[in-house]
Amino acid sequence: MIAMVDCNSFYASCEQVFRPDLWGKPVVVLSNNDGCVIAANKEAKQLTHIPMFEAVYKIKHILEKNKVTFFSSNYTLYGEMSQRVMNILGTFSPNVEVYSIDEAFLDVDGMAHLDLRAYGFRIKEKIFRYTGLPVGVGIAPTKVLAKLANRLAKKQEGHDQVYIMDTEEKRLAALQWAKIGDIWGIGRNHVRRLNAIGIYKAIDFVKLPLAWVRKEMTVVGERLWRELRGEPCLEFTTVPKPKKAIGTAKSFGQKLPDLERIEEACAYYISEVAEVLRAQKSCATYVQVFIVTNYHSKVDKQYSKSKTVKMPIPTNDTFALISEARKALHHIYKPGYRYKKVGVNLTGIIPQEYVQGNLFQQLPETSKKELIRTFDRLNIKFGKSSVASGMIGTRIEEWELIKRERSPRYTTQWRELLKIGRSG
Amino acid sequence: MDSPTYGKIQQTSDRHAPEVSKQTGFPSAATHYMEMPIDLHKELAIHKDATFYIRVDGDQWKQHRIFHNDVLIVDRSLQSRFGDLGLVVQDGEFKAMRIGFGEEEEYVLWGIITYIIHYAR
Repeated sequence: MIAMVDCNSFYASCEQVFRPDLWGKPVVVLSNNDGCVIAANKEAKQLTHIPMFEAVYKIKHILEKNKVTFFSSNYTLYGEMSQRVMNILGTFSPNVEVYSIDEAFLDVDGMAHLDLRAYGFRIKEKIFRYTGLPVGVGIAPTKVLAKLANRLAKKQEGHDQVYIMDTEEKRLAALQWAKIGDIWGIGRNHVRRLNAIGIYKAIDFVKLPLAWVRKEMTVVGERLWRELRGEPCLEFTTVPKPKKAIGTAKSFGQKLPDLERIEEACAYYISEVAEVLRAQKSCATYVQVFIVTNYHSKVDKQYSKSKTVKMPIPTNDTFALISEARKALHHIYKPGYRYKKVGVNLTGIIPQEYVQGNLFQQLPETSKKELIRTFDRLNIKFGKSSVASGMIGTRIEEWELIKRERSPRYTTQWRELLKIGRSG
Repeated sequence: MDSPTYGKIQQTSDRHAPEVSKQTGFPSAATHYMEMPIDLHKELAIHKDATFYIRVDGDQWKQHRIFHNDVLIVDRSLQSRFGDLGLVVQDGEFKAMRIGFGEEEEYVLWGIITYIIHYAR
């Protein structure tokens, strides 16, 4: 059996743990740049039909009228709270697959001697007691069914956030209950395709002949079909696969016309992705840089361009990557436009031990590697971007994302601890 | 002088001693006694996944010897016992309170205050 545990409205719940004045009240969390709503708690969803991923300026009046509290995203906090949840899950099973920031699969095989329902409740209660975060638990024979059991735990009355799909009757009832679009891994296109042939419920989907599913939905669809019938097909992966490409692109806080600020943002993003690269012990062969103007604007002239350059040898050295990215940026930048976004992408990613020097290019000497290691250690100790390449400049606030309503980093910064008493 | 004990120190340091003496002369008498220095986080935050640090603003809880600017170490994993200092929520606000006294009041227990860090200087 497999358990799927996920946190209820995770981002909003993280905020509420430290804000008892907001318990039971509507809370939403905004995307980077405060552009749109990316998370809403139950109260916010019930109250206002806040459209997810809707631009904030369009729905500001709804938020204000209903006294919805909104936060800029505080990924430092969410990441640390997530780590706590995952650590606690590790006390329940030797195999935990962290699927995303707020969901994990637990291998529950070998727990057959336990009362699974009681086990599910122990997970839920321990996580809430330790962290203040509410979770739902679904336990079923396969991953796709566990995901469905989790959905039932939350959406159906009377389960109290824990649902165990341990009999054939329960499996069939769940498939009868679930719409095809509720199934994990069935996207909008497939829903449309299936609806077109009169398939609306999960139960009808599993009755389709395998040959049809394989032909129309490839092997991916076949796996879902088998998993829904109770046959495990998706393997348990406890070690994440190294990423094949790492990129980031965020809109500027304001439109930028001049090269210098764009260069700084570009250097900043390169240092972010280079950190990821080093954390997974790999090197990148290509750097892609792109810039775009605001295509929503009706008055601005439009321009966008991208360029990919090959590194002399694959590297994860922030400084080497910045210097190549800068050349690429100079190549594509044209004055006279108001740019909205610069983005970087690292591709051709290989494990760092595969990197070879060549006749013209030597591998970096140890002192340089030591510098980068120290660099990473300082940033872990003192917080993101405490030390950075000079290319990033000091006028970060002119282009950085707007995060006006970000909560304190309660659990990682001594200066930002939760304050209680007079002010709290 | 190449002392055979030197290699041992090196090995030990990789496992559990963060820093090793770099004596080149007489071999260290502490060689087999190296231990990790005290780590307050390990001692005071027993359940690290349930521990939160919280700063106090104002002297309103001085009857509990909690003063302005103190940092509370709060362990959420503990079951409350009579006489514990609890961090509780009442009417949407945090409060420090002795558990078991004046029980008629309604509150939600947020965590147990296990230590109060007070800057003495």
